[in-house]
Amino acid sequence: MKVMIVEDEMLLAMELESEVEAAGHQVIGLAMSSEQANDLLAGSAPDFAFVDIHLMDGPTGVEVGRPLAEERIPFVFVSGNIKRLPEDFAGALGAIEKPYTMNGMKNALSYISAIVAGNEDVVPPTSLVLAGDAHPQAARRPA
Amino acid sequence: MQSGLLATDRAGCGECMRRSGEARSGGPSEPTRKHRVVRGSTFGEMLMQEKDQYRTDAQNAGNRLVASHVREDPFAAAFKATRMPMIVTDPNQPDNPIIFCNSAFARLTGYSDEELVGRNCRLLQGPKTDRDAVARIRQAVASGHDVSVDILNYRKDGSTFWNALFISPVRDEEGRIVYFFASQLDFTNVKSREAELAAARHQAEQEVAQRTADLHAALAAKTLLVHEVDHRVKNNLLTIASIVKLQSRLTHEEGRRRALMAVLNRVEALSTVQRKLFTLDDVSRFDVADFTRELVTDLISAIGRDDIQVTLDLQALHVPAAKATPLSLIVNELVGDAVRRGLSDGGGEIHVVVKRLNGHFLIRVEDTVEPTEPDAETAQFSGLLLEASAQQLGAKIKRSKHGRKTTVDVTLLVDQHQENEH
Repeated sequence: MKVMIVEDEMLLAMELESEVEAAGHQVIGLAMSSEQANDLLAGSAPDFAFVDIHLMDGPTGVEVGRPLAEERIPFVFVSGNIKRLPEDFAGALGAIEKPYTMNGMKNALSYISAIVAGNEDVVPPTSLVLAGDAHPQAARRPA
Repeated sequence: MQSGLLATDRAGCGECMRRSGEARSGGPSEPTRKHRVVRGSTFGEMLMQEKDQYRTDAQNAGNRLVASHVREDPFAAAFKATRMPMIVTDPNQPDNPIIFCNSAFARLTGYSDEELVGRNCRLLQGPKTDRDAVARIRQAVASGHDVSVDILNYRKDGSTFWNALFISPVRDEEGRIVYFFASQLDFTNVKSREAELAAARHQAEQEVAQRTADLHAALAAKTLLVHEVDHRVKNNLLTIASIVKLQSRLTHEEGRRRALMAVLNRVEALSTVQRKLFTLDDVSRFDVADFTRELVTDLISAIGRDDIQVTLDLQALHVPAAKATPLSLIVNELVGDAVRRGLSDGGGEIHVVVKRLNGHFLIRVEDTVEPTEPDAETAQFSGLLLEASAQQLGAKIKRSKHGRKTTVDVTLLVDQHQENEH
């Protein structure tokens, strides 16, 4: 799938890009601010996006998410504080809490690519907090 | 002798009242006295003289009222001598003037007897007098009822006093109102004490509000700082992990890559601790079971083998944040060791227990695998981390092996003061 990464820490963005590519996907662009994200979206539509909440122009990640939800492009938030997200996750599939682990990201990515491919019959990994499970304590799933 | 005088005076007074009433209404039989006075005067003088005349009438009415009581009349004497300010007004004269006041009233208001008699009581009103209170008095007088009103009045010198005013009508045998009797009570002291109390209360409330606002601001600043620090720590941990990953991607030598991944694994264990630290309501506590569940499920599913059977026996186990790191490293080393000894190469079973048992914390990892020979350096590194963490916590490590099954128990004493039951 074609993936967009919205993240203001370039080192994190680059490593995430490597992970995404190692999993066999294609990264169509990195954006560090909401403006860059909108420019990127105007040029090409990704199949999926990672969106950090805190960007170079402030906590604008949620604003980046809204048009994605409108365009029905699946995305997840990546943030150190997912409690700050609105209750409906602004239309996001879920959220990955920083600092994520390599395994956590790998599992989230395979779940996401299955969902994007239309396979609903997959179990979400612990590293992905789904909308409605925003409070980590309520996000327990049977092991 | 005096009683005879009294009778005539009373009659005269009644006549006077009637006359005054007729003068106001402009009735047919105008008072002859008034005509006498105003003859040959200008209009202004006429008004002045009319006023003077009313005053004289009021004075006369007052004098007659007093004279109507014998000198030794104890009621009259009491009226004059009491400390309670009192007045009598005559509603049958124009504008219901004061016809008598005692010396206590003169003392209270600062006006002399002469200044008061003939005037309506409204001379005591001023700019800050409550209009509603005045309206209530007016209504009671008009309808001939008693009234009790607290009202702000003004002295002659302009100073104010709070007046607990009581007015009641005095009726004759036929029930007609002949006088109004009014008593006054200066309760300025009470009122000012009330005001002082109210002011003190207001000030206290303001102080509380200010302190509360300060505390809120301090709490907000502290919360902001905690969030900022938490954010920084999380970002830094992820950055450290990214740096190690970047280096490992660039290296082509397997041993170096393995060493870097070993470092990454421990950094990520700490990352998971940091992520889980502030999820409980009590931020100073950490749930070892929750950490274990995530570590095991993430690790096993990332291996990507469907021939690994995982069973978990986890009880919520809350420990102080300071113990989170060594406990998490212990779990990480035990599970990682099981994976390296065969789980990742040939599948098998892993059973992880975190629970309280006989007053101890028990962390048990039990694996059944086809053993593979682990890399010596990796095994030594893991062993050292496990040992150091156990030592820090005063924990005991017990390892046992039965065929393909390896069991490692780590037990540590529960400090009742530090453990949270739920």
